[in-house]
Amino acid sequence: MHIIINNSSMVPIYEQIVGQLKELIIRGALSAETALPSVRGLSNELKISALTVKKAYDTLEQQGFVVTVHGKGTFVRATNPDLQREAGQKEVEEELAGAIGRAKNCGMTRQELCQLFEIVLEDYYDSGE
Amino acid sequence: MIAVNNVKKRYKDFCLDISMEVKRGCITGLVGKNGAGKSSTFKAILGLIRPESGDIRIFGKELRELGGADKQSIGVSLVESGFSGELTVKDVVPVLRSFYRNFEEKRFLEQCAAFEIPMNKKIKTFSTGMKAKLKVLAAVSHKASLLILDEPTSGLDVMARNELLDILRGYMEEDEGRSILISSHISSDLEGLCDDIYLIDHGKMILHEDICTLLDEYGVLKAGEEEFQKLDKRYLLRYKKESFGYLCLTREKQFYADNYPGIVMEKGNIDEVMLLMIGGLPVSAEAGREV
Repeated sequence: MHIIINNSSMVPIYEQIVGQLKELIIRGALSAETALPSVRGLSNELKISALTVKKAYDTLEQQGFVVTVHGKGTFVRATNPDLQREAGQKEVEEELAGAIGRAKNCGMTRQELCQLFEIVLEDYYDSGE
Repeated sequence: MIAVNNVKKRYKDFCLDISMEVKRGCITGLVGKNGAGKSSTFKAILGLIRPESGDIRIFGKELRELGGADKQSIGVSLVESGFSGELTVKDVVPVLRSFYRNFEEKRFLEQCAAFEIPMNKKIKTFSTGMKAKLKVLAAVSHKASLLILDEPTSGLDVMARNELLDILRGYMEEDEGRSILISSHISSDLEGLCDDIYLIDHGKMILHEDICTLLDEYGVLKAGEEEFQKLDKRYLLRYKKESFGYLCLTREKQFYADNYPGIVMEKGNIDEVMLLMIGGLPVSAEAGREV
């Protein structure tokens, strides 16, 4: 398991860990029941505060990717495709909400935003798909 | 592990007035400029100075109730103390052996070897880095459950500092119940090590945050004169006039990122927070006047 931290990124370190672990779990590189490194162990390895690691593990637990057994450690949960899809959708929804909020702040109308959305969408999906 | 409540000590031109806590399993950092009261705080916790009021507890006991066994579980490294320069590490070993019931001699010798500390040279001939490493290795050599380290990395180059921090990380990994109280002038050392940070200034704790909050939620805004006037100042903690305009410290980075797209904002770090908390002006009065 290799996690790479970018210390100068604006993305909080715990989010970087969450993102990378989630990807490993979804890809199947970390299978169900695999034990994650201990909080102190990973903090030692990445040279970051143990609290940051704990926050990342807690977030993953809230999202249903891992489970922490008190006194034993943190383990990858059995993968549930529906759950993963749901988690992914929720993230997209949050990011869209953020973008809409910013659009509102700079005075864009609903129509302008819809048009912009369509234009950006063109770049990612072939027409008619 | 350590609880300091309203401890006050008055000197002729300085007044210490502090409350703080070091939790079990945590590394707590203490930062502040020279003369802010860091070493006085350490001395008060170790019972080397007598506060006029307030109470200090270690392992839940008042300092005067601490017995020999409790003191055996504390490892300490202070700035201007160490082993006599006339001794060699070989001479020091029997001293540590008779001091500490749980002294792990074999391990101590292995670690000294790993960190290339000479056994038969007089300590006064050691480099600054070697002396510092020896002090910390001695502090972690006897299975202490609490370390109290005042400036253990001061004067060291980046390699030696990293090695020293690795000793501390290894110490914490061995047993989840251990705690460390550490001070340093090199804030990057603390950012990758501590779980929470206290900022002391003029003998008072002016900020206490866990490190995630400090690094993820604090931000420094750089605003031009005009931009600054328009800025919603509700979530600014401090500001400072600079040649380009204003430097502002916020605890709500996201708010400004969302509402002022395009504004120059940097991630918070201990140095910036310290500079602005100590050197900046409080915003509340300014914001009140403008609203």
